Amino acid sequence: MRESCFHCGEPVPTGTDLAVEIDGRPRAMCCAGCRAVAQLIHSSGLGRYYEFRDALPERPESGVDAGRFAAWDRDAVLDHHAPADERGCRSVVLVLENVHCAACAWLVQRYLGSFPGVGQCRLDISDGRLKLGFDPQCTLLSTLASALARLGYPPHLDTPDSALARDRNERRRMLKYLIVAALGMMQVMSYALAKYIGAGEMDPETEHFFRLVSMLVAVPVALYAGQPFYRSAAAHLAQRHLGLDVPVAIAILLALFSSVAITLFGSGDVYFDSVVMFIFFLLLGRFAVLLARQDAGTAHSALTRALPAQARRLTDEGSEMVGLVELTGEDRVLVADGEVVPADGVVLEGVGRVDESLLSGESEPRLRSPGDAVLAGSLVVGGSLTVQVTGLGRDTVISGIVDLLGEARRKRPRLAKLADRAAGIFIAAILLATTLAALWWWQHDPARVIPIVLAMLVVACPCALALGTPTALASASRALARAGVLASNPDALEALPRITHVMIDKTGTLTEPGMHVAEVRPHESLDHERIMALAGALERVSRHPIARAFEAHDRGLEVQRPGSEAGNGVYGEIEGQRWFLGRPEWVEQQIGQPHEAIGEGIWLMLGRPGLQPAWIRVDAAVRRGAGDLIAQLHGAGIEVVLASGDRPDNVAAMARRLGIRQHHAGLKPEDKLALARRLRAKGARVAMIGDGINDAPVLAGADISIALAEGAAIARTQADLVSTGRSLEPLQNLFAQAPRVRRIIRQNLIWALTYNLGALPLAAMGLVPPWAAAIGMSASSLAVVLNARRLGRIPGTAAVAAPKPAAALKRSPA
Amino acid sequence: MKIIYVLIPLSLMLLSLAIWAFFWAVKNDQFDDLDTPAMDILDDDEDQGHGLEDGEKSVNGKW
Repeated sequence: MRESCFHCGEPVPTGTDLAVEIDGRPRAMCCAGCRAVAQLIHSSGLGRYYEFRDALPERPESGVDAGRFAAWDRDAVLDHHAPADERGCRSVVLVLENVHCAACAWLVQRYLGSFPGVGQCRLDISDGRLKLGFDPQCTLLSTLASALARLGYPPHLDTPDSALARDRNERRRMLKYLIVAALGMMQVMSYALAKYIGAGEMDPETEHFFRLVSMLVAVPVALYAGQPFYRSAAAHLAQRHLGLDVPVAIAILLALFSSVAITLFGSGDVYFDSVVMFIFFLLLGRFAVLLARQDAGTAHSALTRALPAQARRLTDEGSEMVGLVELTGEDRVLVADGEVVPADGVVLEGVGRVDESLLSGESEPRLRSPGDAVLAGSLVVGGSLTVQVTGLGRDTVISGIVDLLGEARRKRPRLAKLADRAAGIFIAAILLATTLAALWWWQHDPARVIPIVLAMLVVACPCALALGTPTALASASRALARAGVLASNPDALEALPRITHVMIDKTGTLTEPGMHVAEVRPHESLDHERIMALAGALERVSRHPIARAFEAHDRGLEVQRPGSEAGNGVYGEIEGQRWFLGRPEWVEQQIGQPHEAIGEGIWLMLGRPGLQPAWIRVDAAVRRGAGDLIAQLHGAGIEVVLASGDRPDNVAAMARRLGIRQHHAGLKPEDKLALARRLRAKGARVAMIGDGINDAPVLAGADISIALAEGAAIARTQADLVSTGRSLEPLQNLFAQAPRVRRIIRQNLIWALTYNLGALPLAAMGLVPPWAAAIGMSASSLAVVLNARRLGRIPGTAAVAAPKPAAALKRSPA
Repeated sequence: MKIIYVLIPLSLMLLSLAIWAFFWAVKNDQFDDLDTPAMDILDDDEDQGHGLEDGEKSVNGKW
C-alpha cells in the first residue's frame, strides 16, 4: 500500500519526498501545500487538530497570492460587507471552503484568535459561515483572509443572501410558534389534570375558575401558534382548493370556539387541552420538515461564490484593485489570464479565450475579441481582456441562473404533488363524511355532535400522507449532501433504483481531471530525485496540462533561458547544461541520442547532449473508488457502459482494468447522446455519469444525470445529482442509498393510508374521544417523519469519514 | 383551596416570563447553530497562542 499524506490523506505520489518532522517523527506529505499547512498548524501550537478532526481536509492550494485579498481592505468593500460598530471594530461574515468537522472550527477559531484585534470568531460547521469581529487598526481583513487561505480554507466574502435570510426568518418564526404551543400545552394540561384527578370532588365554582383560566391561556396560544394553519387554509380556500390545512383549521377553530361558548354560557365538556396539544404536535411535525428541507438547501449556497469579490479597475493613471461593490456601469476592468470576469460587459481591447461553461454548459473556451460580449462568472483561460462593464450584481446573467437553481430547490417533488392532489379528493371525502355523521348524531344524541365532529376531523387529517414523500426525500438529500452528493432534483433519488444502465464517461470521470507522474526510469548517472527536480524546473514555463503534473516536484532549481516548443516539449539551461524534456522524437533530435522503444502510455524523455536520457511516464490517475463503484453496480444487476471520446486502445485498457464489459471509444458528445437514446428506445432506464461540463447535452438526454464537480464547478453543472470532491466514493453511497429511499417512501404512504382509512369509521361511531384523535393523528405524522429521518443516517459513512484509525496507525511505532 | 387563586395567576406570570425568555433567546441567535457550541466543551482552556511547550503538555495529558 502506498503511504498516505499526513495532512490530507491522499496517497503520496511515488517519488515525492516532502516529509516534515512533527512530534519528533517524519510525516509524509503529498504536496508542498499540505506541507506548508501542516507546518503552519504545528508551529502555531495547534497540532491537536489532527486528533480532533473526524473528516479529512481537501488538499490545500499550493500557493496563495498575497495580493489576492488586497481589495478587501478598501473602505467601500468593508462598508458593504463588514459594518463597523461605534469603536471602529468591524464584523464580517466569510464563507469558507473545505469546512468538514468540529476540528476545522477549532483550528480556525484558535488560529484567527491568535491575531491581534480579533474579537468574536465563530465558525458554523454546518454551512461553513465564519462570523468574524476584528479591528482593522490592528489586523487587516486581507491578512486574516490570506491566513485562512494558507490554512486550506479559502474564504469568500458573504454576499447578503436574501434566500438565506428568508430561511432563517422562517425557522425563527416556526420556532416561536412551537415554543408558545409547547409552553401553552403544558400549562393548559396541568389545569385539565386537576379536573381529571379530582373529578368528583371539585366544587362547581373551582371548576368554572379552572375553565376560565384554561380559556385565558388556550385562546391566545391557539390563535398565535395556529397561524401557519389558518394562513395556509385561507390561501388554499382562496384558490378554491381543499388543502391539507383546511380540516385542520376547521377542527382547531371549531374546538376552540365551542369550548369558549360552553365556558361562558353553557355546560358540557371543553377541549382546550386537546386543541393546544393538537397544535403543538402538528407544529412539531412541520418544524421537522422545515429543518430537513432547509438543511438540504444549504449546500447550494456554494453557488454564490462563483464571482470574485474584487476587480482590477482601469483608471487614467493605470489600474487599481477595487471591490466588486465599487464598480459602476461606466467602469472598465482588466481581466487577466486565469481570472474570473466580475461583471457582464463588452470587450474593448485584447483577445483571449473565455471559458463560459458556467453559464452555457459549453465546455470549449471561445475566442473573444474587441466588440464581443463577455459574461460575469466566465473564466479567462488565455490572454487578458479589457472589459467595459455593462451589467452588475443582480443584472448579470449568472445572478439569474443562481435564482433559477434556488427555485428548483423549492419546488415540490413529483410524488408529493401527486399526494397533494390525492389529498384534495381525500379531504373533500372527509368533510362529506363528517357532515353526514354530524347529521346522524344530531338526530340521535345532539350532545355528542361536537366531540364526534372534532374527532373525525382531527383523526382523518391526512398530514402523514402529505408529509411522507417530502420528508423522506429531504432527509435523504441532507444525508447525501453530507456524504458529498447534492440532489438538485430530489425526484432523481426516488427514480434511481429503477435504473438498468449506467453510462459513464472516462476522461475526468473515471479518471482525475489532471495528469500525474506515474513512473520514472532513472539510471546510474541520473537518479530519481534529480530527474524530478530537473523536470519540475523545466516545466515551470509551460502552461500545458502535462506541466501541472510536475508542479509539486519543483525544487526551485534555477533555469537560464527557459522556453517551450508547442507540441514538443520544454528546454532550458540548468547549472550550465542544456536540458530538454518532452516528446521522445523531439528530444532525440535535440540531444542527438537515439532512443530505444518503450512500452505503451504517454512517455516523456529527459536528456541533455552527451548523456543517456531518462524516461518519465505521465498518466491520468483513476479516481479513488472507481473499481468499487463498477463492482457495486454490477452486483446490483446494473449494466455499466463506458462511453468515451478517447482512443480505442486507452478506453479498452480502462475497461479491462475496471471490469467493464461494454465500452465505446471515439464518441463525440452527439454520439453519446445517440447511444443514450438507443438504449432508452430499447426500454432501458439510463443514468449518465459525467463531469457535467463536457457532457452537459448527454446528461440532459439521460433519465437521470449525475455529475462530478469540484469547487466553483458545482455551480456550472445542471445535473440531477452532483457528486462533489475527488473520489467516486460518494456515488457508491448514492447507489446504495437509493433503494432505501424508495422503500421508506412506500412504507410512509402505506402507513398513512391505512391509519386514515382505519381510524375514520371508529371516530364516526363515537369510539374515539377528541384528545385520543389528536394524539393518534400526531403520532401518525411523527411516525412518518421519524421513519423518514432514518434516511438521515447513512450506514457505512462513519468508516469513510473517520480517519482516526489510519491516523492512529501512523502514530504507532512502525 | 383559596390558595389556587394565588398560585394560578403566579403560574400565568411564570408562563409569560418563560415565553419572553424564549423569544429573547430566538432573537439573539441562540438557536441558530446547535452543532458547533456542543463541540466547544471538548476544547479545554489551554492558552491561546503559540506556546508549543504548553500545547505538547496538554496533548500528552489529556489525549
